[in-house]
Amino acid sequence: MQITCTINGKVHRFDCAPESRVLDLVREAGMTSVKAGCGEGECGACSLFVNGRLVNACLLLAPQIQDAEVVTLEGLQEETAAIRESFAEHGAVQCGFCTPGFVLRAYDYLSHGGERSEEAIKAALDGNLCRCTGYRKIVEAIVKVKS
Amino acid sequence: MGVVGESVVRVDAAAKADGTLRYTDDLAFDGLYGVVVRSEIAYGKIRSITYDPAFDFSGIVIVDHSDIEGRNANVVLTDDQPFLAATRVRHIGEPILLLAHRSKQRLRDAAAHITIDYDAQEPVLSMEESLACKQRLYGEDNVFKAIHTVKGSVPEAEGLHSLDKTYTTPHQEQAYLEPQSMVARYNGGRVKIIGSMQCPFFVEAALEGLAGEKIEVEQAPTGGGFGGKEDYPSLIAGYAYLLCKKAGQDVKIVYDREEDIAYTTKRHPSKLRYKSRFDSMGKLYALEVEIIIDGGAYVTLSPVVLARCVLHAAGFYDCGYLRIDARAVATNTPPNGAFRGFGAPQVLFGIERHMDDIARALGLSPAAVRERNLPGADSVGVSGVPITEHARLRALFETARRESGFDALYDVPSPHRGVGMALFMHGAGYTGVGESMLASSVSIALESDGSVEIRVGSVEMGQGTLTALPQIVADALALPVEMVTCRTPNTAEVADSGPTVASRTVMIVGRLLAQAASKLKTALGDYDSPDGYREAVTRYRQSGAPQQFGASYEQPADILWDEDLFYGNGYEAYGLGCYIAEVEVDPVDYRVRVVRFDAYNDVGQVVNPMMAEGQVEGGVAQGIGYALFERLVYETGRVRSPRFSDYTLPMAPDLLKISVRFLGLEGPSLGLGELPMDGPAAAVANALGHVLGNAFDALPITPETVEEACR
Repeated sequence: MQITCTINGKVHRFDCAPESRVLDLVREAGMTSVKAGCGEGECGACSLFVNGRLVNACLLLAPQIQDAEVVTLEGLQEETAAIRESFAEHGAVQCGFCTPGFVLRAYDYLSHGGERSEEAIKAALDGNLCRCTGYRKIVEAIVKVKS
Repeated sequence: MGVVGESVVRVDAAAKADGTLRYTDDLAFDGLYGVVVRSEIAYGKIRSITYDPAFDFSGIVIVDHSDIEGRNANVVLTDDQPFLAATRVRHIGEPILLLAHRSKQRLRDAAAHITIDYDAQEPVLSMEESLACKQRLYGEDNVFKAIHTVKGSVPEAEGLHSLDKTYTTPHQEQAYLEPQSMVARYNGGRVKIIGSMQCPFFVEAALEGLAGEKIEVEQAPTGGGFGGKEDYPSLIAGYAYLLCKKAGQDVKIVYDREEDIAYTTKRHPSKLRYKSRFDSMGKLYALEVEIIIDGGAYVTLSPVVLARCVLHAAGFYDCGYLRIDARAVATNTPPNGAFRGFGAPQVLFGIERHMDDIARALGLSPAAVRERNLPGADSVGVSGVPITEHARLRALFETARRESGFDALYDVPSPHRGVGMALFMHGAGYTGVGESMLASSVSIALESDGSVEIRVGSVEMGQGTLTALPQIVADALALPVEMVTCRTPNTAEVADSGPTVASRTVMIVGRLLAQAASKLKTALGDYDSPDGYREAVTRYRQSGAPQQFGASYEQPADILWDEDLFYGNGYEAYGLGCYIAEVEVDPVDYRVRVVRFDAYNDVGQVVNPMMAEGQVEGGVAQGIGYALFERLVYETGRVRSPRFSDYTLPMAPDLLKISVRFLGLEGPSLGLGELPMDGPAAAVANALGHVLGNAFDALPITPETVEEACR
């Protein structure tokens, strides 16, 4: 089938099977910040925005992005600059495979006015897995993002 | 100056955070995808392989064992594991065929049209069945490796108490976020391997046997390893190589999460029996330990994991008589391999639970019993030589006990809250004289602009190699850290500094790099400013003298090891930990929450405090996962929970306050990577014992086990 959507503001057309995962389509379109971690919505490494909502691309099928506005970390470099800087400065990045997903989660949280308390941030990170850090430095980095 | 000891920001942080860093699956690729067709049975013979005549297999590249021109054996320590099964399979998921095609869909369809028939035999699925020789899987007795060691003599003291307890630990999955992935590049008959790995030279060696020629191997940015990318990548690299060679095209293999969890190596499960004798004050007189670990279907690294079990089985406690009988056994389950801690987390759970059991039997405080058994200047360890770390260990223990307020927390128990302790060590580097057998070497190169390039096989997999090694070299040369970089680990271009395992990168490779840097500094002569350095470099380069400087491992003269007698210095050095956990049990749903965790470490000089803290926090999280969350369910030799929705990892809300302290900073840098995985499980289990008064002798401790204990 034919699917048309915008990714980071540019129109993309996919000729694909209806059961194709959005994760694979977006990666084939060159958006490698979207990582395949678990394939079942548990880890958050494939996070992206569809029509303004942060979702796991591994759980979406091609028809679900028909006519949609898809935004990945590639398209949010300026908006996430302060978050990324805070992650680097506070040691929140280790192997880095989960990091783009955490950056988008933090961006979504903060841009919706999320409270800068450790407990609230921890709760907000419940959908993202990190095996390296123990989360403490990620939480600290989000608390200390310069606004 | 002195960039060692500073929290330099990781050099790869920005590219990781903005998504531009290319991991293996992100590399530009125009070739075939590869998949592995695996055994559906745990044990038996392959009777036939049928390709459905109704399906068009043209264009599908198919590789079986007969395509292997070199040796069909992945040699880690022995040659028992084939790359592809020929006639016999020994575990569910054992690779039999490899397929490649440009279309992933065609590949899936093709795999579904291949039928493999077997003569199935009764599999051996437990360590008990293995030792009873239900089937003969390996040698005479199914034992991959046995180690027996006795130190001291049986005590003649009267009136001693005794305790005989068994502890068990389960499989654990490394759960690096980036699944195993490998690319084989084809270039006019030559193949180059690029992928996610900890040990490029291990992969090179494995492929040399398989291919009969040297293959260039390059590490791609690696999304976590934790030991899971130590030995296993040799296999997947072999599959990619075989398909690439036959197809004459580039081939990429990327496992999905289910395949990764179900078939790659895990932490060895263990059964640990501790029999002790002690006086009424808790002083140990005798300790007999029986260790059995499940190696799975092939030897892989099990003998070395077992040696690490033996060397850590009694902790550093002083004991007049110590006997250890340890065996690694074969079963028809997927092979187990390296995982952060490498045998130590299992036995340190055993000994640290046992210390609490002794305290409980006598009605004493766990801290008092540990204090009574701290080693002194004349204490001798499991391998017969003095415990030289005794003073550091005592200092660490006393600081942790005092600063955490352990005694006050322990003396006033609450109905739902408890506190537990673990005191432990971790040998850094290879066991015995292993480092001298590795004979690691390093190289640094002086570039024309005065910058310095490090050329070693040590890899970045999240732990900080790309930042820590430049800090060490920059420190030795009195340069800003930006002046030093690491070349991508590629077996054709860098020195073989050994594998990135065993907490050895900073301690061993870092030390060699400091030596190489000091040779460069001597060659350059005196300089006392950045300008002076530049002038010295220009002068030196004009002289036409060598631009590369190296160093090789030489064993310190006081390191002795006799493998047959299991006598000598088990390790060149040890990191030390004293971890204290406070837990809360929810009386309604029996969930356990670790409400506070204090990790006191002594690993000598810390190269980068921020990264070191991150290592400890991550290790503690893994250890808490091992204690409370992570459970792999095996059924007739098959992993029944190969998903993150079943195999639960700790999430951010599960980890409350982890605080990290480093003591003993003045010494040389010791190993850090594995230490923080060793202590948390025992500390958490002991804290639960404090709340509930019950023993938690088996991991993981789930709400179901807590509920049972509350009855």
